[in-house]
Amino acid sequence: MVDRLERLTDLVLVLLRDERPRPLREIAAEVPGYPAEGEARRQAFERDKRTLRDGGIEVSALPIDGPEQVGYLIRPEDFYLPDLELEPDEQAALNLAVAGVHLGDPSGRDALWRLGLPASAGVRPFADLTALPALPVLYDAVRHRAAVTFGYRGDPRHVAPALLRFRGGWWYLVGFDLDKEASRTFRVDRMEGEPSVAEPGSAVVPDTFDPAAAHPEEPWRMGEEEVVLVDVLVDASLAPLVVAEVGESTVHDRRSDGAVVVRLEVTNVAMLRSWVLELGEHAEVLGPESVRRDMVSWLEATAAGVTGAAGD
Amino acid sequence: MPARADAGYRLHRLLAVLTWLARQGRAPVSELAERFGLGPDELIADLELAACCGLPPYTPDQLMEIMVDDEEVVANLGPELARPRRLTAAEGFALVTAARAIESVPGTDPDGALARGLEKLETVLGDRGRLRIDLGEPPYLAELRRAVEEGAQVELGYYSVSSDEESVRVVDPLSVITLDGHWYLDGYCHRAGDRRRFRVDRVLSVRPTGTSRDHPGAGEPTDADGDERPADVGAAAFVPGPDATVARVAVDDAGRWLIDAFPHLGIDRLPDGRTVITLAVASTVWFDRLLLRLGPHAEVLDPPELAASGRQAARRLLARYRAAR
Repeated sequence: MVDRLERLTDLVLVLLRDERPRPLREIAAEVPGYPAEGEARRQAFERDKRTLRDGGIEVSALPIDGPEQVGYLIRPEDFYLPDLELEPDEQAALNLAVAGVHLGDPSGRDALWRLGLPASAGVRPFADLTALPALPVLYDAVRHRAAVTFGYRGDPRHVAPALLRFRGGWWYLVGFDLDKEASRTFRVDRMEGEPSVAEPGSAVVPDTFDPAAAHPEEPWRMGEEEVVLVDVLVDASLAPLVVAEVGESTVHDRRSDGAVVVRLEVTNVAMLRSWVLELGEHAEVLGPESVRRDMVSWLEATAAGVTGAAGD
Repeated sequence: MPARADAGYRLHRLLAVLTWLARQGRAPVSELAERFGLGPDELIADLELAACCGLPPYTPDQLMEIMVDDEEVVANLGPELARPRRLTAAEGFALVTAARAIESVPGTDPDGALARGLEKLETVLGDRGRLRIDLGEPPYLAELRRAVEEGAQVELGYYSVSSDEESVRVVDPLSVITLDGHWYLDGYCHRAGDRRRFRVDRVLSVRPTGTSRDHPGAGEPTDADGDERPADVGAAAFVPGPDATVARVAVDDAGRWLIDAFPHLGIDRLPDGRTVITLAVASTVWFDRLLLRLGPHAEVLDPPELAASGRQAARRLLARYRAAR
């Protein structure tokens, strides 16, 4: 009885050695541990192929002459990477990076294993980035310039992806929406179902498309309303934190009591309102009058409470 | 990756051990076992099995040359097995993400070893800067990271959302981590007499006290995987601590963003179509502001003493807007 691990190891070595695809009959004659001919042997081989594929090793099935018609091999380019020629300090830096950044699964460690750089234990992670199953798929699509399709807010979207971005605790896909013919940013955790990826090179993006510009930095700029300049007064206690968040360049006025007025470019008034309300009684919209009125109506509606069920 | 202990995982691990051995030539059994997270006996068994693998006709010259004793493994495996192997999509993503994340932290040398290693990796993967990580850079991040490294005690000015107060406290910084899009300082807080977690973007000032931290033991990190939040000032509203009140909030479609925005304890539906979200509320200040943001799209169903919170908070703010300026 041959251990399955031994059979798998021999199988990998034999399939890698072959320069031409060979039929299962010949492979099974060389790799110990397969059942004698027949359906059981076929099933055992299929199961081994699946195991290898799940582990990232692709066995190619190719047409051959002869009664079997199909032969198998592992293409070297499917198995090996070109040598990275990493210096020892570069290896150590990648090791530390994987140890320091927690992604919720062992993929980083597995990557180091495949590169021959197993990590030494003992580094505490200092960053925890949300892992989502769609991310590796989207990363592949971005790298290979492949168009992707996914559901978003109930609609199918066809996107030429340009950039995968992590910011503020969320992952975003930045791309060119092929139906709307405009740049769009999508929250990856809001995608519905697994994204499907077209063939490499299928995503064509106009020359004028700039992924950096397509991702607005602040929530109140994540909209398509006409730009309005909004002045927000922030009292002294929260002024330093708010200025650090929105940037020194937005400071329009500094008052003697330490309060500041920041002037923000807004294309999404609802998001701005939400941001100001998060500051509670420390902040007030000063103007323009239309936005201040919007805030007052919102507060009046809130003060009145819910007057009925949904649809009210 | 296949589940542990099945044949696929064992093959993946064995190939990794062989790649490492092919590059190193020899290694102590204990070191190999530690690097690959398995017991010495298991390692030796796998290597003895590998020593019987090779190519037909499986004569000694065609088998892998691996000699194992209790102390050391010596191998002569040839250059092919030493080559780096192709990464799966998930592995390539994880490795580049980790490197990019470190690179984005202020103070990382842009021409250092990591950047060079990452560039080589991205060239092979065909990435060309298609992944960007922005961990944010609150003003006192660098100073607090330095304090952790140097073991220096600091006096912290801090704004707490849950109490809506500024405070000054002496803290022995223990670690700085980022999760959920925010940087946190974990440290021993002398005012609280216990370990606390602080949001770095709410730190108002940092002043070294000139002494070293004196609570290395008391603050020995317990959250080794970074997932557990100690009782905290800044993020208290999100952790159902012993003092938390459980509230049920009904929202219409326009208020459903609440589901994604915070961890919740449960979700229900009302016959009228609204969604009921159950939340832990440790701070009424935090809860008031949440209700202000939800506005007329939310109704507090429970507990009765919080039912009017949103309306009252809105009235207080309205008074400010109506006052003559």
